[in-house]
Amino acid sequence: MPEWIIVSLRTLLAVVVLFFMTKLLGKRQVSELSLFEYITGITIGSIAASICLDLNTSWYLGVLSLVIWSGITIGIEYLQLKSKKARDFIDHRGTVLIQNGKILEDNLKKIRITSDELLTRLRQKNMFKVADVEFAIMEPNGDINVFPTKENQPLTPKDLGIQIPHETVPQTVIMDGKILDHSLNNLGLNRRWLHTELDKAGVTVENVFLGQVDDMGELYLDLFDDTIQVPKPKTRQLLLATLQKALADVKGFALDTNDPKAKKMYRACQEKLEQVIAKVKPRLQ
Amino acid sequence: MTVGSKVKQTAASLKGAYATLAMYAQILEQEKDKQTFHEAAEQVEQVRNQLEERIKQLEWEEPQYKGI
Repeated sequence: MPEWIIVSLRTLLAVVVLFFMTKLLGKRQVSELSLFEYITGITIGSIAASICLDLNTSWYLGVLSLVIWSGITIGIEYLQLKSKKARDFIDHRGTVLIQNGKILEDNLKKIRITSDELLTRLRQKNMFKVADVEFAIMEPNGDINVFPTKENQPLTPKDLGIQIPHETVPQTVIMDGKILDHSLNNLGLNRRWLHTELDKAGVTVENVFLGQVDDMGELYLDLFDDTIQVPKPKTRQLLLATLQKALADVKGFALDTNDPKAKKMYRACQEKLEQVIAKVKPRLQ
Repeated sequence: MTVGSKVKQTAASLKGAYATLAMYAQILEQEKDKQTFHEAAEQVEQVRNQLEERIKQLEWEEPQYKGI
């Protein structure tokens, strides 16, 4: 058999074996949490390469080696799942670099990081001032994670004491011009509703690249043809505007009328509408 | 435009707002949101009813503008 055929066959074999190995190893391998997993990734790759090209060794030896490597890796992962002690022994633990705003020089020495390197890594996390860092840790995979002091953390609605309505994840209902019935059913909607909405926007399903529905039942559309402008859904803003207009009207009526009874009634209406607007405003913006 | 027709207009737009609020109360999945919109719809409906009462009264006081 000519060599090129052997190489092709071996390559095909390596691809198939590698495919199933990576399926078995799963996602954890991709994240490369520890040095060991990093080395495993490289080794598996080079063994696969030698299956393909190294004609002096028999192909089954390479496959055997791959199976053993993957088996041991999976075994270790199970061991780590089961016992904390094994985890501490196998994985490196994170090293604290800054605590309570103070740099821990001993720990820097332990993992052999210079002060310049520390500063660079902090800058990568957008922390130019060491004084702004409350806590910094080097994770087992070598990344540095930084926890800024309270006053340097980004402002969130919680800090301002604002109540934010719960919003669920939007569902994708059209993909590549095809309707996804499953997600439509999840929202309690059907094809007829979708067709009505598409008619409102003036497009057909075939022209839609992507369609998403949020939890307020509004449809966002992206078309294949980027020159066409799709009207943005405005029901929410319209509703809020209607309510605010009605409030202004009622205020005006209360000022216009001379009948004390009617004045009182209009004032009551005004209060009610103000309550309604305060209630629904956070969901309509 | 007379006062009566202005009030009628407001009542009509509140009717539309009521329908949209009720629709949202149906669509939203969170029980809390449903409740909020349901209450809001009820209150808007109450306001509209009071305005309708007022319209009747105005029409009785000034029958020459009835139906405008």
